[in-house]
Amino acid sequence: MRRHSRRIYNICYRFTGNRTEAEDLSQDVFLRVYRTLGSYRSAHGGFATWATSVTRNLLIDHYRRTKRDRITDSLDDKMPIVENKESAGRRPDEQALLGELSMQVQSALTRLSPELREAVILRDLQQLEYAEIQTVLAVPEGTVKSRINRGRIELARILQQMGVGPA
Amino acid sequence: MTWTCDLIEARLSDYLEGLLQGPERAEFETHANSCTDCAPLLASVRSLVGEMHAMEELEAPPRLVYAILDKTLGPRETVTGWEAFLNLVRGLATPKFAYSVASVMATLIIILGASGFSLRKPKLADLRPAAIYQNADRQAHLVFARSVKYVSDLRVVYEIQSRLRQDENNLQTAPEELLPKSSPEKNPGQTDQQKPSQPRQQNRANQLTRQLEMLAVELPMLGERSGR
Repeated sequence: MRRHSRRIYNICYRFTGNRTEAEDLSQDVFLRVYRTLGSYRSAHGGFATWATSVTRNLLIDHYRRTKRDRITDSLDDKMPIVENKESAGRRPDEQALLGELSMQVQSALTRLSPELREAVILRDLQQLEYAEIQTVLAVPEGTVKSRINRGRIELARILQQMGVGPA
Repeated sequence: MTWTCDLIEARLSDYLEGLLQGPERAEFETHANSCTDCAPLLASVRSLVGEMHAMEELEAPPRLVYAILDKTLGPRETVTGWEAFLNLVRGLATPKFAYSVASVMATLIIILGASGFSLRKPKLADLRPAAIYQNADRQAHLVFARSVKYVSDLRVVYEIQSRLRQDENNLQTAPEELLPKSSPEKNPGQTDQQKPSQPRQQNRANQLTRQLEMLAVELPMLGERSGR
């Protein structure tokens, strides 16, 4: 369960950009999964894919519910979270640079529209295959590729406006 | 195909993920690298995708798992002190555990008994490795000697039976021919002089056989006397 909770937490955090909301939404995802486990069928894909679909649906519902109330969140919630094991091998200055870049990409992500944001998160941050993303989003593969492409281009333009150039 | 900036933008991800091949790819690169709008766009998107792939997965807060368990399975009661101990004892009071304990105790008792440890008068000295080895060695030799004696006794009985059957068939022959030679007096511990290599048990069997033969010879004569 730790592996699944970590993955779902990451999707929620990347989508919302808020730690507290990501925790609450992760709990809601598992509660929904726990309650609807009887309706899971292998036709929905693997369990991970099905859980990702539930996550995505809850994120969209949350986005629509909080659309009017959305204001700039506190800076603390957007700070990078605990270091991962992989980061232990990097130099401090490299880590600081990557951390800052990660913050900027995260900030730019939250400015994307939800459809483009979820496509980019699933492809580039969660490394899902097109077929799996197609199952999660319940749209044709052509639409998936189109959203990913537009999301990347839009994200690059937002970063350019923020003054973040290519590395 | 004539590549325009709109087309370059539409197929940008296909190019980055290697889905364009051969002449199509070459034409894409020719336009993208030479166009003042497309070249920076390609560079920035390529860099962005690389950065996102390098971004590490974040660690979930440790409390998240417990919060999920509380929400799905319900809050767990934490018990301390005597109640925790009683819960542990209740958990152990199952037939399976009791059977396991009994098996372990029986095994220990058998091993201790074989090693010479007396349960009625336990001594710590009996648990020395040398004492355990000596006791186990003595027990093994005792068991071996008893089994050898048992097998030898069975053999004696078998030989007696076979000789009796043989003698029943030979009762028609002259008694003088059947008179055995007197067996020499044997002291305890001495083997048969004729066959010094034979074990003591075989000498005993031979002695019994000779006695039975003499008895078998005398029995008909006794019967004749009683018949008169």
